[in-house]
Amino acid sequence: MGRRRRRRRVDPADATRALPEAIAALSQTLPAGPSPETFRRAKFDRPEAAPALWRLLFRVLSPQLADGASASFSPEAQVRSVKLALRTQGYPRRALAQLPDDGSQGGRELLLALAWLLARGPLPERLLTQNRVQLGDEMPVCECEALASPGPPAPSVEADGCVDIRHLQWLMGKLRFRWRNLMASQQEQCALLGKIHSYTRGCHSDRSLGHLSVTETELLRDPEGGRQLLRRLERENARLQAALEWRRRELVFWRWMDTVLGACPPEASQPTFLPRIPTPGTGALEPLVRELQALQGELREAVEARRVAWEAGVGGRGPEWSAARTALREAVGQDLAALRQACERGGSCSLAQPHGPHRLVRTEAGAPGGPGLRAPEVIEALRSQEARLEVVLRQLQGQCRQELARLVGAPPGPVWILPPGR
Amino acid sequence: MSIVTVQLGQCGNQIGFEVFDALFSDSHCPQGLCSKRENEAYQASCKERFFSEEENGVPIARAVLVDMEPKVINQTLSKAAHSGRWNYGQHSCFCQKQGSGNNWAYGYSVHGPRHEESIMNLIQKEVEKCDSLNGFFIIMSMAGGTGSGLGAFATQNLQDQYSNSLKMNQIIWPYGTGEVIVQNYNSILTLSHLYRSSDALLVHENDAVHKICAKLMNIKQISFRDINQVLAHQLGSVFQPTYSEEGSFHYRRNPLGDLMENLVPHPEFKMLGVRNIPQMSENSLAYSTFTWAGLLKHLRQMLISNAKMEEGIDWQVRPPLSGLPTRGKMSLNKEFHFNTSIANLVILRGKDVHSAELGAFKDPALYTSWLEPVHAFSVWKTQRAFSKYEKSAALVSNSQFLVKPLDTIVGKAWNMFASKAYIHQYTKFGIEEEDFLDSFTLLEQVIASYCNLGF
Repeated sequence: MGRRRRRRRVDPADATRALPEAIAALSQTLPAGPSPETFRRAKFDRPEAAPALWRLLFRVLSPQLADGASASFSPEAQVRSVKLALRTQGYPRRALAQLPDDGSQGGRELLLALAWLLARGPLPERLLTQNRVQLGDEMPVCECEALASPGPPAPSVEADGCVDIRHLQWLMGKLRFRWRNLMASQQEQCALLGKIHSYTRGCHSDRSLGHLSVTETELLRDPEGGRQLLRRLERENARLQAALEWRRRELVFWRWMDTVLGACPPEASQPTFLPRIPTPGTGALEPLVRELQALQGELREAVEARRVAWEAGVGGRGPEWSAARTALREAVGQDLAALRQACERGGSCSLAQPHGPHRLVRTEAGAPGGPGLRAPEVIEALRSQEARLEVVLRQLQGQCRQELARLVGAPPGPVWILPPGR
Repeated sequence: MSIVTVQLGQCGNQIGFEVFDALFSDSHCPQGLCSKRENEAYQASCKERFFSEEENGVPIARAVLVDMEPKVINQTLSKAAHSGRWNYGQHSCFCQKQGSGNNWAYGYSVHGPRHEESIMNLIQKEVEKCDSLNGFFIIMSMAGGTGSGLGAFATQNLQDQYSNSLKMNQIIWPYGTGEVIVQNYNSILTLSHLYRSSDALLVHENDAVHKICAKLMNIKQISFRDINQVLAHQLGSVFQPTYSEEGSFHYRRNPLGDLMENLVPHPEFKMLGVRNIPQMSENSLAYSTFTWAGLLKHLRQMLISNAKMEEGIDWQVRPPLSGLPTRGKMSLNKEFHFNTSIANLVILRGKDVHSAELGAFKDPALYTSWLEPVHAFSVWKTQRAFSKYEKSAALVSNSQFLVKPLDTIVGKAWNMFASKAYIHQYTKFGIEEEDFLDSFTLLEQVIASYCNLGF
């Protein structure tokens, strides 16, 4: 009390600096982050701020695009992609969807959208994780991340008038070949990675890894590569520092965003967008929820009744009883956990370990190996998922066939083959 | 990525040998006209694709040799061993003691199932030697007995067992005036079966190659060896390494996949023809120089007028002018003179390759209406010269090249079939009239599809 709790008076000069510094920190952690001045202009809806913010949102919403790839999207395509991505995530403000596609306006709305994205989750941290420098040979072990971020929508091609079906068949065939070529490339990559890992056995200073990755091998072969890697790590460090700075200062930003929201003209009372939920309609959920709740209630009652009956039957005995009871509790706990895991296995991802890419480490046959996933586990999980997807595919194909049969109508009649007359 | 070659029958084995020989000779050719480093990269790429390494350093062809009689295989093996530069694997061949008497049905229904396991085991062993498998070449004749029937069966097996791998059949189209009476039956059965199980059919016409030997190479007594060598030269000029993309100096890893993606994605259009320019005897080569403009002009006209070689090209044939109302009137001309393409791949090798102008190949008039030149035309390049030719160009084309020959064969086969001539030879071994009818239907459909390209 008293002197100990001397409050630091906020220096007004600090206050004016705090906001640009906070924005600068935010900007540095995000890809293609614009300057604080751009943010300020955007609050007042100045047109020169809009293009930079469209670019920023595009990069933020499609992080899997490499730096160069985003340049292949025209500004209009980027704007459309941003609008679509925000709608898919459930962004409620209609004003943004109504902004022109040429990306010339809308600074303030874009700021609000950015703030909305930041408020929903740890966006800078997520982006940093996705784009981090990888030293090892990494590969994803499950599809969850890829499914969560669907990526930028492909530019839609307008079909003017009729489309020649031969062209469609051509495109389908091309797609199939590309898929096969991709498979072949992946197999080649695996074979070559295997070779590198087995040739560099014993070279790594970290004994638990044992062999080098491609990046590490290149480091040794080519000093220029090493320098580039160092520069990338330094840049990443700077962004990580900026992320920490941002977390310290973000309160100032949020207070400022309130003023930005205040600066907006009041929105006419239009219904906001319903987020697109790819699940059965809400109508089907209600009775299900009620049923589940009812079942849960019944279970609880049944459990209570049984417990009372057991306790009455067993009775409270001495210390040996309490020991036995603890042991029983533990066993039941384990059974429950196994049951839960088995239930989760029915879900889309059955891996106990964290998702996201893992580093590939090759070990000797029979060696215990370090922490992390074992390849047979992952293969098993992927195989069961493949089987599930096959079932779904067959179902869908059956549905398509039924639909086609319905469209065609009558069962096929005789087919006339004319003799080759010349 | 590596390509495993299956050499089937007399034809397949003799040609296979020449192909590997041509590939090897070219990759070790001193006149590459490029830097040492580039040459080494080219050699390494060719070697990985077609050869594997044995302990004593002699490259071993990635090939499986199959024949129902031992004579040709033994000749092939000894020729390879004698050359001392490369060889076939010791245990890469499968042969039996008797032939199949040019009986397609015997090859397909008897030899095939009987020896299926042994042949597929051999192929499996060869595949396991590859770090990564690009796909299969299957070299076979269309009209003989062993090569064609057994080849059709083997391709089906490959489709079942290696469904994700790419398969290209190198088919030898028989002489129009061939010696085998039932060659047309064999041809239609082979083609229809291959159409169902192969990804691409690269056709080499004996008649065309024969003319090349006579007119361009000035060979007086043309032997099968001469023909096979020209054929091997054509294949080599397509499948030797090329840069992976414009401006890159890395060699393409997946030539089969890239070729197929660009030329044969449509299931009805799988027939490819190959042309190359220049083609001449080694003596004349020393005295000739070429420009890319000249070579490409000739190649384009060869494409449009369906010429088989660079001599005797009909320069009157022109692409149709667009926007003409009476398509009907044009069609007759088009059908018999102008060759409409679906897709084309041009491969350029040699000096100043980056300066070659290919605009004329991107003319929409060359192509069918439902595919734009930007999707229909692709080009592969490398600075490294091929086989002592300072500049050479090859064309792989999915176009109406083979409509007339195919139509002729189907017509002749149908005439024989109408009178049921020789059918008992086939029904004896399980090829029923139904199968013939199915083949006719499929091929008629193919012919009709190719004819309709002009519309």
